[in-house]
Amino acid sequence: MRHSKAWIIWLVVTTVLLLTTRNPVYLFIILGVVLTLGTLMAKQKTQQPWLKPNLRFLVTMLVLSALINTLFTHVGESVLFTLPDQWLLIGGDITLESLVYGLINGLVIGALYITFNIFNLALSIKQITRLIPNVFHPIVITMTISLTFFPSIQRRAREIKEAQLIRGNPMKRISDWLPLLLPLLITSLEKAFLLSESMTARGFHNQRDQFSNRFLAISLIFATFFIFSGWILRLYAYPFLISFSFYLLSGGFIVFALFYANRKVNITHYHRETWSWEDVLSSILLVAAGATWITLLTTGNLPSTAYTPLPKLLLPKIQFQGVLIFFSPMLPLLFHHHD
Amino acid sequence: MKPNLLRSLLIDLVIVILGCLSLLAPFIFQQARFPGFSQSTFPIMVSLIIVLCLLILFFESQTALLDGKMIALLGVLIAINAGLRFLENAIPGPAGFSPIFFFIILSGYFFSSRVGFLMGALTMLISALITGGIGPWLPGQMITAGWLGQSSALLRPLINKFGWKEKPMEVVLLAGFSAIWGMIYGVVMNLWFWPFLAFTPDLAWSQSLSLLDNIQRYLAYYLATSVLWDVTRSIGNLVIFAVMTKPVIKILSRFQRRFTFKYSPKVDA
Repeated sequence: MRHSKAWIIWLVVTTVLLLTTRNPVYLFIILGVVLTLGTLMAKQKTQQPWLKPNLRFLVTMLVLSALINTLFTHVGESVLFTLPDQWLLIGGDITLESLVYGLINGLVIGALYITFNIFNLALSIKQITRLIPNVFHPIVITMTISLTFFPSIQRRAREIKEAQLIRGNPMKRISDWLPLLLPLLITSLEKAFLLSESMTARGFHNQRDQFSNRFLAISLIFATFFIFSGWILRLYAYPFLISFSFYLLSGGFIVFALFYANRKVNITHYHRETWSWEDVLSSILLVAAGATWITLLTTGNLPSTAYTPLPKLLLPKIQFQGVLIFFSPMLPLLFHHHD
Repeated sequence: MKPNLLRSLLIDLVIVILGCLSLLAPFIFQQARFPGFSQSTFPIMVSLIIVLCLLILFFESQTALLDGKMIALLGVLIAINAGLRFLENAIPGPAGFSPIFFFIILSGYFFSSRVGFLMGALTMLISALITGGIGPWLPGQMITAGWLGQSSALLRPLINKFGWKEKPMEVVLLAGFSAIWGMIYGVVMNLWFWPFLAFTPDLAWSQSLSLLDNIQRYLAYYLATSVLWDVTRSIGNLVIFAVMTKPVIKILSRFQRRFTFKYSPKVDA
C-alpha cells in the first residue's frame, strides 16, 4: 500500500476502532497488528530503531495511566489496600479494578501513538504536504520554505554554537543563548529577504483573485456548525437519523466547497501519485470494515465492545465479528512491498 | 469599520465560539458528561471540529500572506522556531519549559494577528512533520498555539495607546502575557486529553453535579497531572522574554522596514 489517501483511510479506521472500545482483547489485537506492521515498515524504510522507542512509550503510558487512575480512583470491589482518608485526593481504597482501568486507558494512548507513528513512517513529508488542498497554496508554499530552510538553519545554529563555545561562552544560562539567537536570526532573515526579492522578481505576487473565496470560508463555517449540531443533538438522544443528516450535510458542504475552490486555482503537479490495485482493494476493505463497525455499534449488535472492569473485574467477552474487524488494520501488511 | 475587517472579526468570533463550545462541551452540556461518551466520541468530534476551525482560519489568514515577501519571512521564522523546539533539550530548563512561544508571540505582536496565528499553528505542524510527531494531539496544539499568536496582536494597541513602545513596560507586558499563556496552553490541551486519563469519580465529569463542581473536579485533575509542567513553562517564558525581547524587537523592526518594498510594473511612456 503506497497511496497517501489509502493511508489516510487506514489511519481514520484504526483511530476510530481504537477510540470506540475499552475491551482489552480487541485492544491487544490491534496493538499486535500495529507493532508488527511498524517493525516491518521500519526495517524497510529506516535504519533507526523503531520498536524499542515505541515500546518504551507504551510502557511509560501504561505505568503513568495505571498510577494516576489507581491513586485517584477509589471504586471497585477488589480492594488491594487502603490509604488514610486524610491524604488529599489519594486517600481511600486502592482497587484492582481501577488499576486495570488505568492500564486499559494507557493501552489506548500507547496504541494511538504507535498508529500515528506508522502513518509518519509510511508517508514522506512531500506526500503529507500534498494532501493539503490546492486552495491553501500560500500555506503550502510557506511550509515548503520552512522545510527547505530548516536543515540550513540547524547547521548554522550548530556552527554559531561551536564558535561561541570556542570563545568561552559556557552556553549554560538562557542569557548565554542570546549570542546564538541574534546572529542566527539576522542571517536567516537576510536569506528570507533575498528569497522574497527573487520571488517578487519571478512574479510571485498579487494572486488575490485565485485565493480570495468567500464561498469556501462560509461553507466551512456551515460545515463546522452542522457537525457540532449533529453531535449535540445525538447527546440529547434525538433520533440518529437527524444527527446523521447533519453529518451528511456537513460532509457535502466540505466536499463541494473544496472542489469548487480548488477548480479556481491553477496549479500544476509534478509526479502525481497513482492508485495501484493494492491501494484500491485495501481502501475498499478498510472502508467496509469501518462502516460495519459503526453499524454494529450504533445498532447495539456488538455488546463486547462496551467492556468495563467496573464494578467487579470480569473477563472480557469477545465476538467473532469484532475480532475480524480489529484485524483489518493489518491490510497494509498483506500488500507489503519488499523493494 | 471596513467590511473586510468586520468579516474577519465575525469569522474569528464564530471560530472561537465553536472551538470553545466543543472543548468545553462537558462543562456546558449535561449529557456530554456521560463517561462512555467522553472516552469515545469526545476526542473524535472535538478533533474533527478543530480541524475544520483550523481550515477556516488558515483560509482567512493566508490572505495576509499573498505577497512573496511575507511568505518568505514567515517561512524562515517558522523554520527558526521549529529549530528552537529541538533546542528544548539543549537549553537548560525543567520539564515543560519551551522556547517556541517567544517567536509566536512576537510575530503576532509585531506583524498582525493573522501572521501570529499562522506562526503558531504552522510551527507546531512543521515541527511535527520534521520529528514525525503527527498525532491526534496535533490539531489541538496547532489551534492553541495559533490563538496564542493571534491574541498577542491585542497588546499592540494597548502599548501604542499608553506610549510604552520601546520602553521597559513593553517587555514587562509581553513577558506577563507569555507567562499567562504558558498556563492557558496547558489548560486547553488538557481539556482534550482529560477523557483519557480522568475516569475516576473524584476527578472525572459527573452528570449529576453542577457546573461549579465539575470545574472543581477538572482543577483537581489539573493539579494532579499538569500544573507543575505549566508553571515551569510560564516561568521559562517570563525569563526568555525578560532576556531576549529588547534585542530581538530591534532586529525585527529593522527587517520590517526592509520588507516593505513595493513592486510596481514599469509603465512605458
